[in-house]
Amino acid sequence: MTTINILFGLAAGFVFGYILARTGITKYPRVMGMLLLKDFKILKFMLTAVISSMILFHFFGDLGLLKVVPKNLDWGKPIGGLIFGAGMGILGYCPGTMAARIGEGKKEAILAFFGMSAGILVYAITIKPVKATLLSNELNGDIFALLGVNRWLVIAAAAALFAFVIRFVDGKFDDGRRVF
Amino acid sequence: MRIDNSKEWHWLAGGIAVSLLSVATYFIFASIAGRNYPFGITAGFGYVAARIGAFFPALADNPVIRRFGDKPDAFIELFILVGLVLGGYTASRLSGTRSAENIPAVWVRYHGKSILKRYLFVIFGSIMLGYGAALSSGCTTGNILQGWAHLSLGSIVAGFCFFAAGIAVARILYPKTEGGNDND
Repeated sequence: MTTINILFGLAAGFVFGYILARTGITKYPRVMGMLLLKDFKILKFMLTAVISSMILFHFFGDLGLLKVVPKNLDWGKPIGGLIFGAGMGILGYCPGTMAARIGEGKKEAILAFFGMSAGILVYAITIKPVKATLLSNELNGDIFALLGVNRWLVIAAAAALFAFVIRFVDGKFDDGRRVF
Repeated sequence: MRIDNSKEWHWLAGGIAVSLLSVATYFIFASIAGRNYPFGITAGFGYVAARIGAFFPALADNPVIRRFGDKPDAFIELFILVGLVLGGYTASRLSGTRSAENIPAVWVRYHGKSILKRYLFVIFGSIMLGYGAALSSGCTTGNILQGWAHLSLGSIVAGFCFFAAGIAVARILYPKTEGGNDND
């Protein structure tokens, strides 16, 4: 059981790292260029992945082959999201790309690796007050139940919205454009 | 050795490849770990944090340390991290895009070549990244690539906050850009 876990993790991570590095998602100017709203390759990449996997997840879900477990909404989501986003802006990349950057030979990412782990340790130390305040109330994250409309109607609307955003930024900003 | 001679991949190809990976891993994850864990990254760092936390007796009963130390998904995600390192290494080798860069060239151009200054930013940034990911229960992979695809309400809110705060910080760090030629 342990061996298969290790092999599966290695294989999945390897493929993910290869894709991220070869698509240029690991580049610091790309991440900062997106946050400066000038280079949208990463956004287009992410929204493409979201549209495609959204359809596949819910298709296989309807067939009963997998079960999507929605994440509920509590105050940890917006507060943690803002802290994470600020950290991403300061660092210039996110956790997955950080690991791929270590492989690419960018040494500072090793420091970031331990910083990220330390951040989770700090979270563990503060869990008591956090749980009592930010995580005490939660709203069911199942958006379909919340809206009470047909699942595929919501999926189609979300896919159309994401596709519109991709088209909009793709027409307006060229990938080869120099930001810095 | 340069085997992968393709130019940088198009976002459409990369995006579809990642979606296939994230759906395929969902199935495999479910069959080996016995329940549905979405493909993620944060718990891998959580596993490292739990191993470090084990040295402190005061954290022995900490629910966060126990969650990341005991659950199989954190152990798998630790190896996803190792795989990411290997994947990044292989991609940079095979495509001949390896560089000896330590601090990003763009950073040096705008903020100087002081290693200490950059490392302080790296340390603060990555600690915030870890804290934020743990609090919002997922990073960009878990909350956007997975959470947005699931259309989870919590992930949609978290993902928007990632961008909102990131955009604000980027504007402070780079109030003006020159449109020069650096693109590594």
